[in-house]
Amino acid sequence: MEKEKLTVSQINAYIKKRMSMDHGLKNIYVKGEISNYKSYPRGHDYFTLKDEDSQLKAVIYNHRKRFLEFVPENGMKVIVKGTIEVYEKNGYYQLKANSITEDGLGHYHILFEKLKNKLKDEGLFDEKYKKEIPKYPKHIGVVTASNGAAVKDIITTIKRRYPLCEILIFPSLVQGKQAAPQITAQIKNAQKYDLDTLIIGRGGGSIEDLWPFNEEIVARAIFECKTPIISAVGHEIDFTIADFVADLRAPTPTAAAELAVPQIKELKNNVNQLTRRANKSMNKIIQDKKINLNNITDKQIIKNPESIYDIKQMHLDHLISNLNNFSKAIISENKNKLKILEKSNIFKNPESIYKLQKNSLESLINSLNYSSKNIISTNKNKLKIIKNNTALKNPKKIYHEKQISLNNYINRIDYSSKKIISDNRNQLEIIKNSKILKNPNEIKIRKQNQLLNEIDKLEILNPLLTLKRGYSIAKSDDKVITSVKDVKTGDEVDIKLNDGIINTKVI
Amino acid sequence: MENMSFEESLEKLEDIVNKLEKGDVPLDDAIDEFNKAMNLVKICNDKLNSAEEAIAKIVQENGDLIEFNSNE
Repeated sequence: MEKEKLTVSQINAYIKKRMSMDHGLKNIYVKGEISNYKSYPRGHDYFTLKDEDSQLKAVIYNHRKRFLEFVPENGMKVIVKGTIEVYEKNGYYQLKANSITEDGLGHYHILFEKLKNKLKDEGLFDEKYKKEIPKYPKHIGVVTASNGAAVKDIITTIKRRYPLCEILIFPSLVQGKQAAPQITAQIKNAQKYDLDTLIIGRGGGSIEDLWPFNEEIVARAIFECKTPIISAVGHEIDFTIADFVADLRAPTPTAAAELAVPQIKELKNNVNQLTRRANKSMNKIIQDKKINLNNITDKQIIKNPESIYDIKQMHLDHLISNLNNFSKAIISENKNKLKILEKSNIFKNPESIYKLQKNSLESLINSLNYSSKNIISTNKNKLKIIKNNTALKNPKKIYHEKQISLNNYINRIDYSSKKIISDNRNQLEIIKNSKILKNPNEIKIRKQNQLLNEIDKLEILNPLLTLKRGYSIAKSDDKVITSVKDVKTGDEVDIKLNDGIINTKVI
Repeated sequence: MENMSFEESLEKLEDIVNKLEKGDVPLDDAIDEFNKAMNLVKICNDKLNSAEEAIAKIVQENGDLIEFNSNE
């Protein structure tokens, strides 16, 4: 049976009709987390509601948005009241919101992060503002609920560790809407008292319970407080804005008390130890001084003070004697020098120096005279010799002599050249008379005879000539047979004789 | 010296002991310092032994102080 075929529009219209009739999809509350939140220009906001396993498209139209008490943001956990409607055109359904309310922790988380970032940017958490917690407090204030576990923990711990200080409790609500203003007021109130340290906090609880410690007014009161503050809110894992602003964060109220006061036992030990160290070092100082004193009194000088005088006296005597000896030595040395000078010739007869110099001067003059005369006479002689020289007296004689020796050379050259020419003529004559030049054909004939001779020798070696003498050559398949083994019965054998070939067969 | 806080007394005592331990103090000064140290030890011990129980009080709205009773 053929079924009716529907168009897409028809089926979407059908779904829309069916779903709009379903009261289970009208005015329902849906819980989920906002994601993909987008505002469109016409004022409608589209977003997705999701939980761990699934997602649902949602829309809030412009005219419903004005009733919202907050600005929806991604990550917020919300409860949406609305109706499921089908958007025919695109074939999907969505939750049309009438109202949206915040659902628990998602809201707190966002507020926390916002305030944390805001105060951090303002510098309220900066390390430079952190005040030091006094080591030995006399008065400690506690802002907390007067009937909670936290205040008992704090008092017990302080009593046990350090029973020397007074504890003032500033009671305050620590949860609910009134808590934050009360905490703020008590922090301000506490500063009227002469407190060394202020602890603010409460025991563990849900994020809503701890919320007052995340309020801005509390944070600012902590920041402005002149007294150093230790925060102790909830358990170790809980971090509040108060923790970030406080001068010191304690993980629990008990820990806050431990951080606020020292251990009296430790302090007693400390004092005892300091007492021991003081005694020990004092004894050592006294011992050292005694040893010093003994060292000094043991010395000779203290025992016999005159010895200093004696030693100095001896030293002085020694110095005087040294001085005497030294001055005597200088005087005698100089006397000797004077004597030697007095004895010297120059000192006795100063003119001798003049004579001595005069003599040497005269001898110099003499030797100068003598050598100059000598040079002059030598040169005069040389000049005479030159003057008497033949060449100078008769220059033509030299020319004549040279003429004679030149003629000699010419004669000798003439003779030897003539001899060379005649020798060469003779040789030429000999060559002209030689056989080869007179009869060149004779050489040719001789060479021809020699060649014929060689050919005859080759004729003897020609194997064909051997055939003339009755020998023959046996061949098979054009190969010369040299052994019986080269042929077998039936093979054809050609026997070559001098004048022809015999074809045979091996039998 | 009796008016000093415990903290100041302890600090002063530590200073003196450190000075004595260095050893380069003239004897007269050393004796003076040692006497001061012993005096400070007495003060510290007196303060540490003075209270046997811490007092806890509640500050009431009108400013009155009443003793805190943990059994309330």
